[in-house]
Amino acid sequence: MSGNSNNHRGTADRLAFASAALRSMWRRAEGKFALIVLALWLAIALVSLIWTPQSLWATDGYHVWAAPSAAHWLGTDGTGADVFSWLMAGSRTNLLIVLLTVIVSAVWGLLLIAAMVTRNSALANTSVVVIDALISIPTVLIALILAVPLGASVAVIVIACGFGYGLNLARVARPAALLASRSAYVESALANGASGWQVLVSHIIPNIVPVLAVQLSLSAGTAVLAESGLTYLGIGVPSGVPSWGHSLATSVKLINVFPLTVLWPGLMVTVVVVALNVFGDVLRDAIDPVANPALRQTVVAAEKEDER
Amino acid sequence: MSQDNGVHAGSGATTDASLASRAKNPKKNGPKWWLISLIAVIVACAVVIGVTVAYGKKNDSADASAKNMVADTVTIGLKLAPTNLDIRNTAGSALDQVLIGNVYEGIVARDSKNQVAPGLASSWEESKDGLTYTFHLNKNMTFSNGDKLDAEDVAWSINELIAKQYHDADAITAVSKVEAKDADTVAMTLKTPNSNLLWTLTGRAGLVFDKDAKYDLKTQAVGSGPYTVAKFVENTSITLKANSEYWGKNKAKTPTIVIKYLADDNAAVNALKSGDVQVLAPITESLAGPFKSDSDKYTVKAGNGTDKYVLGFNNASGSKLADKRIRQAIRYAINHKEIIASRGGADKALGGPIPSLDPGYEDLTKLYPYDQAKAKLLMAEAGYSESNPLELSLTYANIYGTELGDQLRSQLKPIGIDLKVNVVEFSTWLQDVYTNHDFDISLVDHNESHDFYSWADPTYYFGYDNAEVQKLYNEGVAATTDKERDAKFAEAAKLISEDAPADWLFNYRITTVTAKGVKGFPFDLNQTVLPLYNVTYSLAEFSQQ
Repeated sequence: MSGNSNNHRGTADRLAFASAALRSMWRRAEGKFALIVLALWLAIALVSLIWTPQSLWATDGYHVWAAPSAAHWLGTDGTGADVFSWLMAGSRTNLLIVLLTVIVSAVWGLLLIAAMVTRNSALANTSVVVIDALISIPTVLIALILAVPLGASVAVIVIACGFGYGLNLARVARPAALLASRSAYVESALANGASGWQVLVSHIIPNIVPVLAVQLSLSAGTAVLAESGLTYLGIGVPSGVPSWGHSLATSVKLINVFPLTVLWPGLMVTVVVVALNVFGDVLRDAIDPVANPALRQTVVAAEKEDER
Repeated sequence: MSQDNGVHAGSGATTDASLASRAKNPKKNGPKWWLISLIAVIVACAVVIGVTVAYGKKNDSADASAKNMVADTVTIGLKLAPTNLDIRNTAGSALDQVLIGNVYEGIVARDSKNQVAPGLASSWEESKDGLTYTFHLNKNMTFSNGDKLDAEDVAWSINELIAKQYHDADAITAVSKVEAKDADTVAMTLKTPNSNLLWTLTGRAGLVFDKDAKYDLKTQAVGSGPYTVAKFVENTSITLKANSEYWGKNKAKTPTIVIKYLADDNAAVNALKSGDVQVLAPITESLAGPFKSDSDKYTVKAGNGTDKYVLGFNNASGSKLADKRIRQAIRYAINHKEIIASRGGADKALGGPIPSLDPGYEDLTKLYPYDQAKAKLLMAEAGYSESNPLELSLTYANIYGTELGDQLRSQLKPIGIDLKVNVVEFSTWLQDVYTNHDFDISLVDHNESHDFYSWADPTYYFGYDNAEVQKLYNEGVAATTDKERDAKFAEAAKLISEDAPADWLFNYRITTVTAKGVKGFPFDLNQTVLPLYNVTYSLAEFSQQ
């Protein structure tokens, strides 16, 4: 996997690369599962923006904790609102949280990686020590501290998770990044006058993409779990905002009496987290030319075309 | 750094190779069958032992029931635990609940109808002007340590309370002095008449302590009641042993009562199911469902109480709710029946500030019946509609669950109120709402009995200032007969309710579950007054089921 070839690829090649990767993901059973679940999640989140079977605010005190029926496909919750609609609407909140968390942790993680592999040895050494120290702070503790000024909010989840997972990402990706940053082609790029940022973007990041894929999808899965956990603690998604954690937290009190209402959000969370974790593994295999022969063929074909 | 890196890179490659070669080895060997079978054997052993132990226990208890019909020990599951036993200094109704009437006794007692009953004093007289009370004490009373209890102890206890400003001292500010006339007679002199005095003395203010005993109030208790504290484990349990030398008629029927504090609802339900506790109070109506349908084994009953779920409005001038039309609209828009139904239907509608067990109660639910059209009209007059809503925030503590906030938001939406619900920690509520008065609408369970004074106090957090109400309240307090007091309070309560400075969502009634065979456990008011002397548990009746 050479960084140089990435640079020369055009849009068409990128598309070919992406479709080859997708096809090889789809060929595997677990890849199919992950792709289907994630596509469904995205679709449901989008649909919930314009339509849910029942209004979220249609409460009915006379029919609380109802069993599934034609009107309420998954029954009703403690206020008589429709569980299915709340889960649908919750999927968009969770999607937003996951996307934001992944973005924050990716940006923060890459910044840290850049600091750790920089040629300024003072900065590199300090950042390694500081990250090792920071990594020992539990995400929940950060969230609890953030919740003091911010109150229960999506920002608490995103900042706490993004911060914690970014540290993990940086720590895990450092060896690969370090290898790339001290490679002969980076040396020559630097000798040719490339700036540190150019090296980071065009050489180091492409080299750590497999690690990034696995780590970020793990972060995404963990963010879904963190949302449920933090919302249960009352410092996650504020009351009145639909989310899977909200549905879980409100129903878990009555797990002895109405176990079904806990099952649905629990199932959603489990399936999505498994799908995200599997997705990371499959993605890593699919975009790594060493592990994926189909990809090598696309690259070879593209290079042939370049020659013509 | 680059040198370091060279070493890393070099060793990395060899480590990788050696790791890879090792990693392949176990796969060739296949699964470790010996390990799997070892785990299987351990799991099987654990299951067998677990089942045997569990069934063995059940057999034991069956044997015991055959031998003696009435259990030596009754275990009661409660929710809120006291942090220590110091009833002089520590606030919280958890202490009143377990200690008053069981371990400590007051000069007068309170029955489960919230009425004053004879306690250490068997009778009392009140002077015509309401300024002097004379209490006649029972004879031959003793503390659990054997000390004699007489008028000296009574006078000392109440005078100490006032002098050292112990908890609840402010409830008897009207008292100027307490004197022991002779060994069996106590005279109490008041600065101003107070129709609430006797009821106040049934609480902490009237408790009698041993003047001569020295003990650690935080972990021990020396009182005159039918029980003594044998063991206290902070936040977990209190073990009460019957006081065999108890002076009174109501001797303890069960030798040992263990009170377990189960903060988690699901854990509490499991404790009741497994027989760890025989009584659970309180339990939510929804959680009690399975016990209700299992009526062969359990009794489920809701008891009357003085818990008022108050949706308090910020009445201070400048508040969005200073406009009476909006306050009235909110009261018309709330469907109390539906909220009560969603909570299981045990609670009672409450139209005003006084619950049915308190003096001055009158059914005021007709004042603001559920009428969405009227609510919309009032909101329109104030300039708001569903398309142009008024933004209000509701702040309440997370202990009450998110359901009430969600319901209120959906009920107020059609009349043109966009309710932002902030569910916060109780300490945050205390800080923001109770102390700083920084809120639009607040929701809290005012569980205290006789707390009508808060409506006559303009500095209280809802900032309700009505001279007429204050006048009526003061007249009611100064009244020398209960009838006069009740009439004044009722009149004031009606004025308040009409003014709509708050909405009273419901009068929460506590649901209690007892296992079949438990007798004598009080259902009414049992979160503040919980006399245990009468509680028995007959195992025979349970094992027959």
